[in-house]
Amino acid sequence: MKNIKFIIIIWLVGVISSCSEDYLNPIPSSGITSASYYTNADEVETALIAIYDGVQGVNSTRTQDLHAIQYEFYLTEMRSDNTRTKSQEGEAAQFEFYNVEATNGIVSNYYGSFFNVIMRANVVLDNLGVVTDSGTAVAFEAEAKFLRAYAYFNLVRLFGDLPLIDKVITPLDKEVQFTRQPVSAIYALIESDLETAVAGLDNGNKTRASKAAAQTLLAKVYLTHSKNYSQAQGLCEDVMESGFSLMTNFNDVFYSERNAEIIFAIGFESGLTADSQNFSAEFLNGVGRTVGVNYVTQSAATALDENGGDRTQYSYRIDPFQVSQRQSIKYLPDGKDGGADGKTFEEGDPRLAGNDWIVLRYADVLLMHVEAIMAGAADTSSSNALDSFNIIRNRAGLDDDDDGTITVEELLLERRVELAFENQRLFDLIRLGQAESVLSTFSADNGLGYSSTDLLLPIPQREINLSQGLMSQNPGY
Amino acid sequence: MKKMSDLNKNIAKSMLAITAILAFSLWSCDPTIESLSYDLPDANSKVDLTPPAASFSAAVTADYLTYTFANTSISATDYSWDFGDGNTVTTKDATNTFPSVGTYTVTLTASDKLGVASIFSTDIEVVEPPTPAAIVPVIVNADFDKLPKSSGSDCACSAWINKSLGAQGESSSGNGGSDNVVKYDNDEQDLTYQEFEISPNTDYSITLVAAWKALESGTFPSQLEIRVLAGEGYVDGYTPVYYATTAEYPQEGFGYTSVAQMEDPDNNLFTQVIDHPNDTSYLTLTYSFNTGNNSSVALVMRGVGGDGTPSDDKGFLWNSGEEEIRVDSVVVEPID
Repeated sequence: MKNIKFIIIIWLVGVISSCSEDYLNPIPSSGITSASYYTNADEVETALIAIYDGVQGVNSTRTQDLHAIQYEFYLTEMRSDNTRTKSQEGEAAQFEFYNVEATNGIVSNYYGSFFNVIMRANVVLDNLGVVTDSGTAVAFEAEAKFLRAYAYFNLVRLFGDLPLIDKVITPLDKEVQFTRQPVSAIYALIESDLETAVAGLDNGNKTRASKAAAQTLLAKVYLTHSKNYSQAQGLCEDVMESGFSLMTNFNDVFYSERNAEIIFAIGFESGLTADSQNFSAEFLNGVGRTVGVNYVTQSAATALDENGGDRTQYSYRIDPFQVSQRQSIKYLPDGKDGGADGKTFEEGDPRLAGNDWIVLRYADVLLMHVEAIMAGAADTSSSNALDSFNIIRNRAGLDDDDDGTITVEELLLERRVELAFENQRLFDLIRLGQAESVLSTFSADNGLGYSSTDLLLPIPQREINLSQGLMSQNPGY
Repeated sequence: MKKMSDLNKNIAKSMLAITAILAFSLWSCDPTIESLSYDLPDANSKVDLTPPAASFSAAVTADYLTYTFANTSISATDYSWDFGDGNTVTTKDATNTFPSVGTYTVTLTASDKLGVASIFSTDIEVVEPPTPAAIVPVIVNADFDKLPKSSGSDCACSAWINKSLGAQGESSSGNGGSDNVVKYDNDEQDLTYQEFEISPNTDYSITLVAAWKALESGTFPSQLEIRVLAGEGYVDGYTPVYYATTAEYPQEGFGYTSVAQMEDPDNNLFTQVIDHPNDTSYLTLTYSFNTGNNSSVALVMRGVGGDGTPSDDKGFLWNSGEEEIRVDSVVVEPID
């Protein structure tokens, strides 16, 4: 029995040393989990790329897939006086008639898509600890924050108060997930994210975040919310010194990809289901799933005819198959016009189009420069504002501003014809304080149902239901 | 037959039962019966948990008297607007043109079909938007009179010294006066510098009266250089101070502290090098510039065109040419 002590000691040592955490909670070797995947910079970069995948959205006709940017025109352009559906019926037509329902699937899809983008950005930010090189970590943080700010900026302008999600949350974090924070809190996050992005990014990329993209977006944020005109002007001027320029031919802006005018675009590749888009097909007559959406209104056509100059011919056309209708043509599938009837594509699938979606381009910066100098006044005759304004007009084959004074209405009209069908119009009207007057007149002229509460979309009913009483609806829904 | 009578009996029983049930159900449906009198239609109906809540926002239009009102009330069906100027409407959204400037209390009453109402009011201050006049810069000693310096003696260069960029100009007489012009000596490093406040994004003219001494050999003719330097380019953390009198002006430690900083094209809103006019009379020279995103600028003038070997080297890598230049006055003012 002398040996009993040794036996006990050996047994104790065995007990103590055998049960490490790893042994009891083994990391599965046959599969990847989110908790174990991120171990180095390369793996975090895959998460970074996945954010862009989220913005691209899924090219499919399934309603439950998140279509992200591919659906954006429904919520923005078709809610302005620029476009409408061809059929003027169904869920998609709720936007043009200003009778969007809280159950609208397109609204819900976009909302989910961009919170998905925010989630993916938060995953990157949550895993920066494994990136050992400090320069790389700074760059990754800047890029993820740019994309998070981009997503929140889209959402906050469309929905108003929103849940503020700045970290990875679990399904149990109901409070965070469903408590709407005031617009000012959302903008505070957007501004701080973009300041980080401006400091940490370089120029060079056009389909990934860049310093100029962050500066441009931040300028737009300042013009939209805090009305910090001087800082917005400074940011525009920084971008104006960063080597961008207007394309001589307006058409080349859209059909020579990643050209000198592009600051930030969502990249798509033709022919690949995983990386292509279908909005180009949807804009045509029965080429996509719909019979045709984002069709050009009489109001937009008139504005372009009268003030577009060279831009008009590259912005819309008469639908060759249905001559009473007009199509926007800035995003013809891979640049092909669809033949004599505008809907016949002999080579390639127009529903797998590769046209990049342009988010920010240099013309926008020049016109924001004018807006910043105008600084909330009714007009400006400053020579530096006129310089920027006239560059845009001259490229379109138009003369300089005739009286040397740019009014808010002139600026808004120039933005309308320059950036028509680029999902800017609604936000421009709201930002420049003209939405109420312009849209109520447009609505009355066309027998639509606009009222001021239509400037914000409804929070998707699904979210309200899931929140079990935590989430309130926007007024008017 | 027994079976038959059984059947009849059963039928009779059933009839009786049915009659009883019918009678009971008819009787029970009578709302006048006391036991049911409490079961009014209102009982068991739900309380309206979201009564109307009136709210709206107002925005001014291009016409400063006209406002649009965006109705953001919830749970309401009927609306009544009172704009405080005698005008009323019952539409959901509203537009009103006020008769004149002043403060108006705008009241929105939002109600539902239950007759529950909510009232929200806001004061609207109708004001004519000011057209802010551009700042006319206050330039101290713009006539280059011989005035006291902070260091004691008097000089036409008072308020115009920045020893980080060049040597001070000197007092002289000319253009029909005495002790009334500043001069940039030939082959030296004389420079004038002053910061002042301006309106951003505004076009200004700059007018100076200057004269050159007669042209010497022509190898290194003096040129007068004018720069308007952006306040954005001031050294980090610098806040300009605008002094009232020449004696208060320090002689260095301004927003521009090196020649390289001054010559950086990004910091120059305006740069003009005026060649020797080959004319010794006083000339009036006018230029214009836009202030850009700046609320403060610095005006710099110096003689340049020299050979790079100044007669009294103060350590700056530039010098004036072979002729002295005199400046009598400088005026900076907004162009309408």
